[in-house]
Amino acid sequence: MEQTEGRPVGAVLVVGGGVSGIQAALDLADAGFRVYLVERQPAIGGRMAQLDKTFPTNDCSMCTLAPRLVECGRHPNITILTCAEVKEVTGVAGDFTVKVRQYARLVDPDKCRGCGECESVCPVEVRDEFNQGLNMRKAIFRPYPQAVPNIYAIDINRCVECVECAETCTAGAIDPFMGDREFRLRVGALILSPGYELFDPTGRPEFGYGVLPNVVTSLEFERLLSASGPYQGHLVRPSDGSVPRRIAFVQCVGSRDVARGAVYCSSVCCMHATKQALLAMEHIPDADVAIFYIDLRAFGKDFERYYAKARESGVRYIRCMVSQVATVPGSGELAIRYRTPEGAFREERFDMVVLSVGLRPPQGLAELARVAGIELNEFGFCKTWEFYPNLTSRPGVYAAGVAVEPKDIPETVVDASSAAANASRLLQAARGSLAATKSYPPEREVAHEAPRIGVFVCHCGVNIGGVVDVPEVARYAADLPGVVHSQDLLFACAQDSISAISETIREHNLNRVVVASCTPRTHAPLFQASLREAGLNPYLYEHVNIREQCSWVHRDDPARATAKAKDLVRMAVTKARLLSPVITTFLDIEPLVLVVGGGAAGMTAALSVADQGFPVCLVEKEPVLGGNLRHLFYTLEGSDPQALLYDLTVRVEHHPLIRVLTGAEIVDVTGYTGNYVTRLRQGDLEREIKHGAVILATGAVESRPREYLYGEHPRVVTQTEFERMLASGRVGGLKNVVMIQCVGSRQEDRPYCSRVCCGHAVKNALKLKELNPGANVFILYRDVRTYGFKERYYLQAREKGVLFIRYEPEAKPAVEAKGERLRVRVVEPVLNTPLDIDVDLVVLSAAIEPRPETARLAQLFKVPLTPDGFFAEAHMKLRPVDFATEGMYLAGLGHAPKTLGEALAQAQAAAVRAVGLLAKGRLESLGITVQVNEGRCSGCGICVEVCPYGARYLDENRVARVIAAVCRGCGACAATCPTGATQQLGFEDRQIMRMIESALLA
Amino acid sequence: MVRLAYYPGCSLEATGKEYDTSARAVCQALGIELVELEDWNCCGATSAHSVNNLLALALPARNLALAQKLGLDVVAPCSACYNRLRQAEHALRYDRETRAAIEEAAGFNFLGGVTVLSLLEALVKRIRPGTIADRVVHPLQGLRVACYYGCLLVRPPEVTRFDRPENPVHLDELVAALGAEPVAWRGKTDCCGASHAITSPEVATALVGRLLALAREGGADALVTACPLCQTSLEMRRPAGETMPTFYFTELMGLAFGLPGTRAWFAKHLVDVRPALRVLAQTGS
Repeated sequence: MEQTEGRPVGAVLVVGGGVSGIQAALDLADAGFRVYLVERQPAIGGRMAQLDKTFPTNDCSMCTLAPRLVECGRHPNITILTCAEVKEVTGVAGDFTVKVRQYARLVDPDKCRGCGECESVCPVEVRDEFNQGLNMRKAIFRPYPQAVPNIYAIDINRCVECVECAETCTAGAIDPFMGDREFRLRVGALILSPGYELFDPTGRPEFGYGVLPNVVTSLEFERLLSASGPYQGHLVRPSDGSVPRRIAFVQCVGSRDVARGAVYCSSVCCMHATKQALLAMEHIPDADVAIFYIDLRAFGKDFERYYAKARESGVRYIRCMVSQVATVPGSGELAIRYRTPEGAFREERFDMVVLSVGLRPPQGLAELARVAGIELNEFGFCKTWEFYPNLTSRPGVYAAGVAVEPKDIPETVVDASSAAANASRLLQAARGSLAATKSYPPEREVAHEAPRIGVFVCHCGVNIGGVVDVPEVARYAADLPGVVHSQDLLFACAQDSISAISETIREHNLNRVVVASCTPRTHAPLFQASLREAGLNPYLYEHVNIREQCSWVHRDDPARATAKAKDLVRMAVTKARLLSPVITTFLDIEPLVLVVGGGAAGMTAALSVADQGFPVCLVEKEPVLGGNLRHLFYTLEGSDPQALLYDLTVRVEHHPLIRVLTGAEIVDVTGYTGNYVTRLRQGDLEREIKHGAVILATGAVESRPREYLYGEHPRVVTQTEFERMLASGRVGGLKNVVMIQCVGSRQEDRPYCSRVCCGHAVKNALKLKELNPGANVFILYRDVRTYGFKERYYLQAREKGVLFIRYEPEAKPAVEAKGERLRVRVVEPVLNTPLDIDVDLVVLSAAIEPRPETARLAQLFKVPLTPDGFFAEAHMKLRPVDFATEGMYLAGLGHAPKTLGEALAQAQAAAVRAVGLLAKGRLESLGITVQVNEGRCSGCGICVEVCPYGARYLDENRVARVIAAVCRGCGACAATCPTGATQQLGFEDRQIMRMIESALLA
Repeated sequence: MVRLAYYPGCSLEATGKEYDTSARAVCQALGIELVELEDWNCCGATSAHSVNNLLALALPARNLALAQKLGLDVVAPCSACYNRLRQAEHALRYDRETRAAIEEAAGFNFLGGVTVLSLLEALVKRIRPGTIADRVVHPLQGLRVACYYGCLLVRPPEVTRFDRPENPVHLDELVAALGAEPVAWRGKTDCCGASHAITSPEVATALVGRLLALAREGGADALVTACPLCQTSLEMRRPAGETMPTFYFTELMGLAFGLPGTRAWFAKHLVDVRPALRVLAQTGS
């Protein structure tokens, strides 16, 4: 374990402002550390900002990222340093001095308001790298509309120094004489998350990239799909502007490619292509889309369903490695020749070919590694350890995200939080020492004033503006009673717009604000904060969603979509007139975390929280700790799980801040965020634990197969059972072993991939070959899903003679008893002939399924489950370890199948999230709680019965009361109260009635 | 005056005789002195490298030894010869262990002064298309040709280090210098089936048929190649009814340079080249 000498510095420097760096920065800032976020580009956002939508939910990427960008930009503990690079790192863990060089932006960030006048006069056009060079930008530019910081920068290499911009800028922000700046920062730890580069497909010239105009990379295609892309979201061929009706995707371009130095799988491309295929079909409904692939790797949570959905939607998946993309002269068509499953050669014509380019270590990582003094691995990524996923070779320097190994967004977010947990643990003694606290101006008294309403209508680029006539809605709102100011904004959530709203409130002395934009779920808090900045109570705010409710659902009827937007805005203005300030209350947080589940994830989470300085109660239902870790004896990378088990158990049992309760069962959970009371039964003993947060790390189990003679023949075992055999060395006599993959996974009753089985099979096959080189191993598979660096072990297994034979789900292998031995029959797909294999042992890669008690726990803790019975996190992409309820977190297999290393990272991530909550010390109540008019209450008690949170009770006078901090604002009691005594703040009867009247007024 | 050692190889003495004659004539016209290696031996293609790696390198290496004695770079018009000689040179330069074995087998010490060139490479890199264009007296105006590189001229790229392996262009540049029109087509480096021309003619015919169709798709009147194996395969194993000829690039150079005896070379073709050349008469070339 890493330690510091003396008291550490309570600050962390994060390199890389992509989604990984942003997450790490926010977690650390919330946990009470000062954060410097260093980004080489002029704005943070990274690759995720370039994505149009994200799999497997098709959520708009920018819509989910933008609030994080803004939060990062506004967080009092975060300093964003753009156009900056780390040049030197000296010192030791806990006390580093980092030399940072900030390149001349030539625009003063304190003066620039992002108005864009400079851009319109700049005469120099250069390729726009944000759009992958598909269009042009100016030499003075803002990388993208929602950029944070939302200011301009001059591309110094392209600027012709005509000073047109300087003459135009009314803010006087242009500073042609600005020089590079070097300065030193003292920090306790560093987190490196510089992201990735894409493989340059000119390295696979047979695909014609750069020569054939209609061959594009997957990221270029993403920009073509995007509403903020070069064609405003109209999917056309850049070469001639025509609509591509036949689109082919070529997978593994620069991945799984020994010849080009990338043995590994890039992990994201299969799903990325699936997403793009689905989106292409949304853009062009009659499009014919084909994906050429080797193995379809839909291994993540809900990916298999997404893959099935794509197939049902008509996306053609063709299992063939394409060897050439050629142009058909004169037509602009592209020809791909491939081998069909039947073995024939076929040529197809396409209008556009998308190359799914692999992920490479980011440019400059070697230099960064040298400066930071860390080692890189054989692939040029940051070297970390399987059981210590963020630790680099230098103590106090942590790595996260794709710079460690290719991974998708949620895993990157988990990894970043995990790195933050490591830093927070290292610097525990300095928590809060350098943190700033956010202060708002005092709230203005508005109760006696007549309503002065400001209305802001957002274009959301073309998301809303492409359908709804936004300026017309703004004009309409201006004439509504009470409205004194109304305007439209290109992106209301952009940082400049948010500060513009604050300024407008002050300037026009507004006392109510209505924003018409997208969903209030993600965006209302942003706008409410701008009210607070301007000295207004944040509940003098009303939000209208004219994206989901107007532009998205009425895409083909702009006139009526606009009319509906006007109706909604009118209703909101009506309600806004009746809004009154809400005074929230504060509630202390019980500074203890309950961790449920004592497996690898639970123990790791407990240790991480405790090492970060907060007490933990670790509950395990079994008499011993360890969970599934007790059944693991090897890993692919050669680490020792049993040593980890020993280490974790000893540390957990001896940690002064961890109380371990084994053999304990949870019987009841009451309370609310920050103040839960959980009752446990330990034998005959009942205990009550008061805790502020909970981490559910309850794991999952290997299912018991019902097929292939399992349980009927002694020589049919599961992978876990086989691993135990290998560990005990009872494998010397084995001559022929068949492993069958996807037993119970990827089928109707369990329509998900269990993720770990391919790696598990390869691991056990390699171990068997090591112990008994003469043994023959046959692995019968559907797709080999050895994602990321695991691919190298798949390669190793093939080199060692392990035979991989693919089978189709329609023709599953058959296992037949032959006395003591067995015969397996499988149809060999290349020869298209049945093969009979006489074997000594059949090993089944059984599905991972949720523990039976998961559903009961979900009910007790009131957390949702996925249709597959795993815990459902708050957001698939950006909140992978949170439940929707604040104070509840999840980690490990209970979330979804994953490897040990992944579970450990997730456990640390959950820990830092919980610490982030506990570090606040107190919680603010919601603004939409209910209130009771005592005089009208009849004491019927219906509200007590309907409240799902236990927030209502009848006092001794039979008057219904409310525990404000427990109330979640669901409104159930207000709706059922027969006398109207219960009113919900922000949803009072009179407000709602007036809104309805206003709706009918049209 | 450019002097080069000349390694004709067996094809140029038999099925590719017209390639030999035209190559020598064109080189003379451009002031290149070709010094034929005395006592040259088999390059080893294609039998040797199928059975014995050392033999496959030692056979061509012996020819390099002869060139080294002359102190000249060696040019091999045949792509297969070129590829074998180049493989030997590559092994001698970059593979210390193999080099020792080759030197022992071929009985010489490689000094590193000899470079192997294909004839196309020699003309494009040492003479340059501009100079070649200056020599043209009858521009091949209106002749649309598909430049066919085949497999051996540019592959494997780490050994040949000549032109782009997937989309080679040097032959296109050369025929353009002659005034002909190189068409865009997609068969440039696809297989001509020469290895199967004798043993499985039906395989070769299927491949040749596809190549000719692709050339026609590109709008070509003829193919042009730098390899006697490709030329033979393309004309001999063409499907019934196909009439597209395949020229050696040196033949087209001879035509454009107005060299005497050019027409006699074409008598060796299995396809009548006259219909394809008729366009030249029309444009007055």
